[in-house]
Amino acid sequence: MISYLLKRLAYGSVVLVLVTIIITSIIYLAPVDPARLTFGQRSDAATVDAKRAALGLDQPLYIQLGLYLKDITPVAILADTPAHRERYHYQKILPLGTHALVVKWPYLRESYQTGAPVSKILAAAIPRTMILALAAILLAAIVGIALGVVAALKQNSWFDHTAVTLSVAGISLPSYVSAMILALVFGYYFSDWTGLEVRGSIYDLDDFGDEAYFWKNLILPAIALGIRPIAIVTQLTRSAMLEVLSQDYIRTARAKGLSYYKVIFKHALRNALNPVLTALSGWFAALLAGAFFVENVFDFNGLGQVTVNALLSYDIPVVLGAVLFTSVLFVLINMLVDLLYAVLDPRVKQS
Amino acid sequence: MFDKLLEVKNLVVEFATDTGTVRAVDKIDFSVFRGETIGIVGESGSGKSVTSLSVMGLVPQPPGQISSGTITYYDENNDPVELLSLSEKEMNRYRGNEMAMIFQEPMTSLNPVFTCGNQVLEAIQLHLKLDKKAAKEKVLDLFERVQLPEPERIYAAYPHEISGGQKQRVMIAMAMSCNPKLLIADEPTTALDVTVQKAILQLMADLKKEMDAAVIFISHDLAVIAEIADRVLVMYKGKIVEQGKVADIFSRPQHPYTKGLLACRPPLAYRVDRLPVIADFMQVKKDDHGVSVVTEIPASVSAKLGAVRSDPEVRKARLNSLYKQTPVLEVKNLNTWFSAKKNFFGKTTDWVKAVHDVSFSVYPGETLGLVGESGCGKTTLGRSIIGLNNPRSGKILYNGKDLLKMTASELQDMRRKIQIVFQDPYGSLNPRMTIGAAISEPVRVHNIISGKKAQKEYVIDLMETVSLKAEHFDRYPHEFSGGQRQRVGIARALALNPEFLICDESVSALDVSVQAQVLNLLLKLQKERSLTYIFISHDLSVVKFMSDRMMVMNAGKIEELDDADTIYAHPKADYTRRLIDAIPTGGDFTAGDNR
Repeated sequence: MISYLLKRLAYGSVVLVLVTIIITSIIYLAPVDPARLTFGQRSDAATVDAKRAALGLDQPLYIQLGLYLKDITPVAILADTPAHRERYHYQKILPLGTHALVVKWPYLRESYQTGAPVSKILAAAIPRTMILALAAILLAAIVGIALGVVAALKQNSWFDHTAVTLSVAGISLPSYVSAMILALVFGYYFSDWTGLEVRGSIYDLDDFGDEAYFWKNLILPAIALGIRPIAIVTQLTRSAMLEVLSQDYIRTARAKGLSYYKVIFKHALRNALNPVLTALSGWFAALLAGAFFVENVFDFNGLGQVTVNALLSYDIPVVLGAVLFTSVLFVLINMLVDLLYAVLDPRVKQS
Repeated sequence: MFDKLLEVKNLVVEFATDTGTVRAVDKIDFSVFRGETIGIVGESGSGKSVTSLSVMGLVPQPPGQISSGTITYYDENNDPVELLSLSEKEMNRYRGNEMAMIFQEPMTSLNPVFTCGNQVLEAIQLHLKLDKKAAKEKVLDLFERVQLPEPERIYAAYPHEISGGQKQRVMIAMAMSCNPKLLIADEPTTALDVTVQKAILQLMADLKKEMDAAVIFISHDLAVIAEIADRVLVMYKGKIVEQGKVADIFSRPQHPYTKGLLACRPPLAYRVDRLPVIADFMQVKKDDHGVSVVTEIPASVSAKLGAVRSDPEVRKARLNSLYKQTPVLEVKNLNTWFSAKKNFFGKTTDWVKAVHDVSFSVYPGETLGLVGESGCGKTTLGRSIIGLNNPRSGKILYNGKDLLKMTASELQDMRRKIQIVFQDPYGSLNPRMTIGAAISEPVRVHNIISGKKAQKEYVIDLMETVSLKAEHFDRYPHEFSGGQRQRVGIARALALNPEFLICDESVSALDVSVQAQVLNLLLKLQKERSLTYIFISHDLSVVKFMSDRMMVMNAGKIEELDDADTIYAHPKADYTRRLIDAIPTGGDFTAGDNR
């Protein structure tokens, strides 16, 4: 088990290094000069060059990449200087003369646009997106699995046909369309009745300038974001249940004299959940990174919105930080799912 | 003398299919008395499983439907209970408690995500209302009684961690857990090795005596039923065509189908040129209304078997001429290993030696039988010869050329000459390909005949060779029975005009009656096309019938290799002796093979 975990971790790190290399290469190769963008049209060449040198943009690509990797790695050998100490806030593990082996938080640099540390920008946006994605995925899990199980048990009934038809519609509906429809209908036409608003994030400054939470602002975005996963989970649960219900061990369970509900929920559902779990975890990771459209419609100010805004203004450190964070999350979630598999299905442990 | 336990009257079970309703069980009547064992014998589709599922209330509805009849169960006070009129909830009081069932497929009949102990525990807690600790004690006790090694370990093991025979013991423990009065066993040993089958049959007989339960034992093989049953019901096309005491059925079979079943198992005491089949005793034709009409061909079992008995002199002459030739295939010190354990860097630290230093030769035109239990390496050996597994070391010389050192194009040519027929006629045909396309594929790949029309003619010719009809060309595998699919597999292997055929458990998934037909076909093809066979099976009686020489394999090594009849008469290895002892013979009834 431990060697399995270590192997997963090793694979994960390789993926992260590759992602960093690919993303930095693409961004640095684009024919745009961030230094010029920072100052706008009116700056003189000397100022722009100075800025470029300060950002390290005058170095060859591979050196820039190396510097960035050095900044983000949590374990590194660094020159033990005050400047480094202030930048990285590291903990020395092993002094090596003028250098030292240190552990540190990944240093994501500062935004070109605002000068604020990228980690702070992300830290502000991530909880919002996290909560939104979590709400959407919980919704998908609860509603989708329930619908799928009922549809499978009542195969070929009107309920089954309706669930399948609606889920096909749900899969085909892009999230920004459903977001706009929801916002318009429940946040505008019926807003007096529902008490919901078209735009707004879950925490913001209230009228008195204090931070306040507006939980009801979560409802519409979560539904908009959850519709497609609900549809997919419904279909997956339905087909997995149908397959499992025809298995020999279900007949064995019935031959034991177990009640209908025990056969369904203990023996069948446990086996049907594996593919559903894969889909849910994949969607969770995707929702974290890809909630941009919904965030934009509802002005939610989450990670997706931050990333896209940064891309539009060529704020490279913010883009890199956001993409890296998302990749780390992807890798971690996948590792978690692999572990969950082993718990849900004992056959996985062997292979 | 006995009290009635179960009475089935006028039972009709129908299934709705795309082409209309099919009657799976057609007006059957039978009774089971307390403490007796009855056997139900019949081929797949005869309705024997559906009968037992009806008793348990487990017929899948829809598509199934019990259209008429009664099933009466007599409880401990001898009060009749009409099982068919019980609600699902009331039925659950009987299922698993008063009546229990063991299924054919131990591999898939246990839930993969719960431990074996848990699954037995569940039934005990449900019906006996014991607390968890007492229930666990009982499970361990049961595991001990079904002779599972290390009950504690099996209790905590998941189904995939134990062998097929052990799984079936867990199933038996589960069925026995609440002291049922009626135990239904649906082909409980068909998926198991003969040696395991013997042990399970013995165990069931012992437990039955101990618990005083009645048993309904279902099998397609009369010899197995004779080992355990007091009375036999013979089912054919949904009807009970004959019933009686085992001894009577064996000595004085009345119905032609029963006679066919008795005659079609390869005899052990002597050699036959071909096996009698059901069609030797009866003919089934459809009349104008589409109803099957059975016409009996009057003959006795012994007369039919006597007619095909082979002449020892002819065999001696055949063997003499066979072994004067130079071998067509020589296997020298072959090793095929699989990695069993890998270290962190993916390097193998422990090996399963599936084929371990094996050497033998095969002569042109002979049939070399290869027999052993599952896991002995016989399938890996066959697959290594045809190039589906990569051996680690050794030589495979075909006509003097080493297959393991050939270039890709030489191998391609070689693949035409050596073909394989697989075990599972269900899994080895692509369900989306018509039969015609499946057989034509190798013809097209190797381009042995050009032109679509010529190819089709060639394939239809092949299909007729294996007794399929030309009109089957455009049909899909699901429309065929197991025996027909195996014929398709054989036709596909023959399509390239091979010299050498490896039959890997080619008849193991088939009913004995169908098995006889396919074996006869293989013998006929060998004669017509002067083929050389390696015939692989776990069933020593079948291998002995088919082979000139026989090779017994155990744990990756050859135990012995000699003339098939010599090995059967004078086995040298203990292992061979165990295999021979395990062949079901029907106890005293056929011991002298005076059928």
